[in-house]
Amino acid sequence: MTREAAIRVEGLGMVYPGGVRALEGVSLEVHQGEFLAVLGLSGSGKSTLLRCINRLIDPTEGRVWILGEEITGARGARLRALRRQAAMIFQQFNLVRRHTVLTNVLSGALGRSPLLPSLVLSFSAEERERAIGCLERVGLGDRIASRADALSGGQQQRIAIARALMQEPRLILADEPVASLDPALRHSVMRHIESLNRDEGMTVVCSLHDIDLVTRYATRMVALRDGRLVWEGVPDEFDHATFKDIYGEEAQPASNTGF
Amino acid sequence: MQSVAVDGVLIGIVLLMAEFLAVAFSGRRGPTGLLLSAEQILDLLHYAWAAAGALVLAVAWNLFAGQIGASPGRAWVRGVPEWETPLEWNRTLRGWFAAVFIELTFFTGWLITELDLVTFLTKFGKAADIVRGLLHPSGGVLHEGLVLLVQTIFLAFMATAFAIPVAFLLAFPSARNLTRSSLAARLAYTVARTLMNFVRAVEPLVWALIFISWVGIGPFAGVLALWVHSVAALTKLYSEQIESIDTGPMEAIAATGASPLQVLRYGVVPQVIPPFLSFTIYRWDINVRMSTIIGFVGGGGIGYILKPRVDLGEWGEVGTLVLLIAATVWLMDVISAKIRERIV
Repeated sequence: MTREAAIRVEGLGMVYPGGVRALEGVSLEVHQGEFLAVLGLSGSGKSTLLRCINRLIDPTEGRVWILGEEITGARGARLRALRRQAAMIFQQFNLVRRHTVLTNVLSGALGRSPLLPSLVLSFSAEERERAIGCLERVGLGDRIASRADALSGGQQQRIAIARALMQEPRLILADEPVASLDPALRHSVMRHIESLNRDEGMTVVCSLHDIDLVTRYATRMVALRDGRLVWEGVPDEFDHATFKDIYGEEAQPASNTGF
Repeated sequence: MQSVAVDGVLIGIVLLMAEFLAVAFSGRRGPTGLLLSAEQILDLLHYAWAAAGALVLAVAWNLFAGQIGASPGRAWVRGVPEWETPLEWNRTLRGWFAAVFIELTFFTGWLITELDLVTFLTKFGKAADIVRGLLHPSGGVLHEGLVLLVQTIFLAFMATAFAIPVAFLLAFPSARNLTRSSLAARLAYTVARTLMNFVRAVEPLVWALIFISWVGIGPFAGVLALWVHSVAALTKLYSEQIESIDTGPMEAIAATGASPLQVLRYGVVPQVIPPFLSFTIYRWDINVRMSTIIGFVGGGGIGYILKPRVDLGEWGEVGTLVLLIAATVWLMDVISAKIRERIV
């Protein structure tokens, strides 16, 4: 029996109002359980691709399936049910800055929470317990009552990971999750995402621009250039020539990556 | 077509202003033997002829633009033609037209608003009484003034407080960034915006007159008048704040599979509460100032006792009341600035 793909993208294209083309004819399949890195320069369409997968942005062409169900064209409750399957982690963390750490994590459960209590920030005791558990997993069990913006960048991204965990998704979409963090903190955040992949069996699609991180964490990688898919492979196949292909002749690897 | 319309309007205005000045300086007298007033001259002007003449000239200018240079309308619609761009303004017909337009506007404006520097500089004596009274406030009205000042502050407070929930609910459909997703949302945006623009365009003074005949003279009418105006003003301020929020948290909440209401509650509301509070306090401050004027026409508060004293020329008592109002406005200003500083 072949397992259905975690994500299937077919002929995806996106033209923003105003005429800027961000994606063109992108087709790819993400297998369950893999850690797929998406590479490319800024402006190459990585963010747009991730946002088209959970329909934060409506693609102008093509179709997307999540776990075998088509999300393009889905509306209302069906769209929300599909979004619950795919938690998202953002470059700028996107926490609700004025809410407490705990409320931020609890917001991951909004998709399954009754509407009226959720509007007054009220959640069941069971969900609160689960949220505390998620925070403990990312090492922030002692910061439950702090305001989210009182924490450092690395800590805020860990709250965002706890929020994603709280969502109990089967996929993680991570958009440059460590790009706005201090280099010293990148591995600590990446390791938490890796643990979602390895220990929870969640499929991860993660855009990254640091080749070091890609080769260290990804099981497979794809590269975008000017909105088109230009390369697909495993980290071992990635070499200097591929690098030039993706980033252009002018580019130099940012750090000593061994090639 | 568009350029002829623009030129027609501009040339028409120039023709009318020229005729106005010609009549004004001709020394023509009306039936009473006096020089014509500005209003009388405006009544005399040949509007239809000016419109017809303007149309002919506008068409002609557009037809011969190649020979005499682009008209203002043509330059506006299609841009300045290349051969004209290096020329100084006084080398083009358009430049001279603009110069004449500005001069005529200034002279016509001077006459229409009846500016009179001589009177302004020589007749201060009549106003001296008032200024003397204001500088020597009399204590007789102090007690009554203080009592009504309290009423004024509460009047402004109630109007503001009642405006908050209404404006809060109206602000979301009035925000452009939240109303692009569906046709119904766009419709709600248009309806809410149009309604609020209309309400805001009507002066609080007019609202006061409406409510005075509705619920009678007194502070309640003042509360209602300021309430209506505050709803419209706060809705605009609130919705502009919503339009400028960081969309990141909205995206994050939507990505959890939350419903639109939950996205508003978690992704939008926490971001806008502090600026909303700040605007609201500012609005209270404005309402205290406005309630003085509302009182003039019978909307309660300190303005209500100010009016008869102005009419009777009791300038000492007027001075007392004006000082009370000024002190309150100043105090509210300072306090609200301090509070806003803390919140944001």
